Amino acid sequence: ITIWHSHCFYPAGKVRWKSNTRPAPVLTAAPVRALVDEQVSIRGHFLPLHCPVTLHARMHSDEGDLWESFAHYNADERGTFSLGGSYLGCEPMGLFWSMQPAPGGREGLRLRKKSVESPYTVHVSLLEGHVSTSEGQWSELAAVTVERWYIAPGVKRIEINQNGLVGTLFIPPGPGPFPAMLDLWGMGGGLQEYRSSLLASKGYVSFSLAYFGWSLLVFLPQAAFLLLQDHPQVVSDRVGIIGLSFGCYLTLRIPTKTGVKVRHEAYFINLSNVFGTFNSWFLDHQIEERLRSAGKSHLLTRLSYPGAGHLIEPPYSPSARTSISDVSAAVITMWGGHPALHAAAQEDAWKKILDYLEKNLRS
Amino acid sequence: MSLSSPPPILSVRPSRALVDEAFEVLVENLPPVSPFTLRSLHHSEDGDDWEAYGHYFSDHSGRVSVSEDLSFGGTYSGREPMGLIWSLRPVPGSRTGLRLRKKDVTTPMLITISLYNGHEDFRDNSPLVSMVTERWYMGPGIQRIEITDGGLRGGLFIPPGPGPFPGILDLWGGGGGLLEYRSALLASRGYICLALEYFKTGQMKSTDLSFEYFEKAYHVLKDHPQVIPDRVGIISLCLGTIVTLSLVVESAEIKPSCVVCISNMINKSPGKTLSGFHRSIPSKFNKIRVDENNHQIWRDVGLALLKEPSMKVDVAKINCPLMLVNGCDDQNWCAVETADDISKTMNAAGKGHLLTRVDYPDTGHLIEPPFSPHCFAGNFFVYSSNEKVIQLYGGKTKPHSDAQDDSWRKILSFLRHHLYCSHKAKM
Repeated sequence: ITIWHSHCFYPAGKVRWKSNTRPAPVLTAAPVRALVDEQVSIRGHFLPLHCPVTLHARMHSDEGDLWESFAHYNADERGTFSLGGSYLGCEPMGLFWSMQPAPGGREGLRLRKKSVESPYTVHVSLLEGHVSTSEGQWSELAAVTVERWYIAPGVKRIEINQNGLVGTLFIPPGPGPFPAMLDLWGMGGGLQEYRSSLLASKGYVSFSLAYFGWSLLVFLPQAAFLLLQDHPQVVSDRVGIIGLSFGCYLTLRIPTKTGVKVRHEAYFINLSNVFGTFNSWFLDHQIEERLRSAGKSHLLTRLSYPGAGHLIEPPYSPSARTSISDVSAAVITMWGGHPALHAAAQEDAWKKILDYLEKNLRS
Repeated sequence: MSLSSPPPILSVRPSRALVDEAFEVLVENLPPVSPFTLRSLHHSEDGDDWEAYGHYFSDHSGRVSVSEDLSFGGTYSGREPMGLIWSLRPVPGSRTGLRLRKKDVTTPMLITISLYNGHEDFRDNSPLVSMVTERWYMGPGIQRIEITDGGLRGGLFIPPGPGPFPGILDLWGGGGGLLEYRSALLASRGYICLALEYFKTGQMKSTDLSFEYFEKAYHVLKDHPQVIPDRVGIISLCLGTIVTLSLVVESAEIKPSCVVCISNMINKSPGKTLSGFHRSIPSKFNKIRVDENNHQIWRDVGLALLKEPSMKVDVAKINCPLMLVNGCDDQNWCAVETADDISKTMNAAGKGHLLTRVDYPDTGHLIEPPFSPHCFAGNFFVYSSNEKVIQLYGGKTKPHSDAQDDSWRKILSFLRHHLYCSHKAKM
């Protein structure tokens, strides 16, 4: 065991590590660079036995807003603690999904990665004692930085703008051909790439379609679908669609209205208590009715998470209790849900979706 | 395009890692018990292509695991989880005398790993599936600061967090230039590390650097607000070991907590500048031999210089822990004989307890961080005669790679013991 005279060197803080039989506290994480749906384990070492410490995670969104989280731990009888290890009673990824906008920032923020080719850089500090706010003096004992990526190495990003079709295509590395996914988003509209880039990182050619801001026309999803089917690196009878909230509705219109052949579709549908302008129970019922009338009930796979928010995204992302809908800045929609349940729903739904795609598009 | 059978799935985990971390390469969904080749490809900063490959057989569940299965030929054989990296070599038809060294450490090395049908004839086929993996020298949150004040040329690497941290001065060898990759990796392991350029390749003039240059660099580290002033060490290789040993013995300013010398030289440079040493070598040029490929073997030059007591740094005066790492097949310098000489002198002076020594069999001169490709012979610019030659460095690839892996871990534990430690490190 290493020994160190540490009291001379620490910055000002309430607790001085006077012991000369312990080295300085150390914080480590593994892996330090990972995809956002991969777990990270964080460990602290060389703390005084049973001492209280706080993990403070913070990062900046692409828009420059600060998000942060605090988690309290007590070192064990060996002066260590770990998340993602055998430490009882804590959820390994809670430090990430429980992040909230830092006080004093803009209102109604939602965390969505705009630039998928760069990671989120999360700085995790180990602080002495149990602290919960940005106020007051802290003593940072140690730190580690982790990167959270929405894209795997080698995935190509291609901007598409042809014949009114606007979006971004992601192609996995390698010769292919690959199964493909058309990625549609919800009422927020615009162009969200991060789910597509993640799906491409799992081996699917994936296309994020821009609409609402660009065009309300229903034929766009069909054109996008055909673009995928015709792509030289795509297996044309292995193309699926993933939709979310309003996107679900649009998704449905493709097979029943326009006669386009769709092999499989994945749906996010959730039954929850949702307030505000959007009632998903009603939508859910509608979708089921339509499919049944078209003789296609067998295509529907329903995933439901009681208590989860309307927005289900790739796991370990902070959940949005409220966010400014891009449709109108003046409208703040309550998306509903509770953080811990939502996080569990995210993790489970994402796993189920990937398994579903694997089973139906790859075999 | 349609699919007749499910495509194979190739995964590399982790897909982004530090260069001294291992990965797992796994292929699934293959036809059972069939021959396949896994090949890695890297396009270097210098524009050369490097490759490695192993021949495997899938099992009955259609799986090939590089960590668990055996390679039956290629650039490596046997159970070698990292064979696709350490056995990288220039593709056939490449320029000669190449050495793979990353100059820009802020970006990763990109390695494409592909699966092919067959063994000997695998190149006739197109790859079935490919993945890209990133190998980083710099961990996230590491700060890189260019050092240019006071005439110094270097790169300082600082880990995230408040510190304070131990410091390390990093000195490379006779190839010259600014090589930051080992420093970036040491910073990723918890040290503030300064990579110091002390002469540019081919610029003889700049070797007129006095030891004052190095003392200035040492102070940059020691005086840095986040560095623990009495926990500064030095790591060096080849020509850098001459600098290091001379400084430790003769400089009043430089009192490191510990020193690592790889591929040792012990020669004294008269007049406290490096050019003194360079001027002394040509007198022994008659000792240079060449092998059947016309590659120059310089180890006898070293042996000749070793015979002259006035040409050696007086290592009896060393007062800090010293770790020596050498390759037994070093053809570039007589590193093992030098280590023997150092051992003898220090033992006679009662300083033997300060010495740690590891000699690796079948290992050459260029002992790099783990999984770096083995450089057996490389291009070198000889300052004294202004000519480009190919020097033989020696070593057999597999033992040399094992030595790189093992020596790195030994070096890290040595540094951890002496720089994160407060017990009596000096006499």
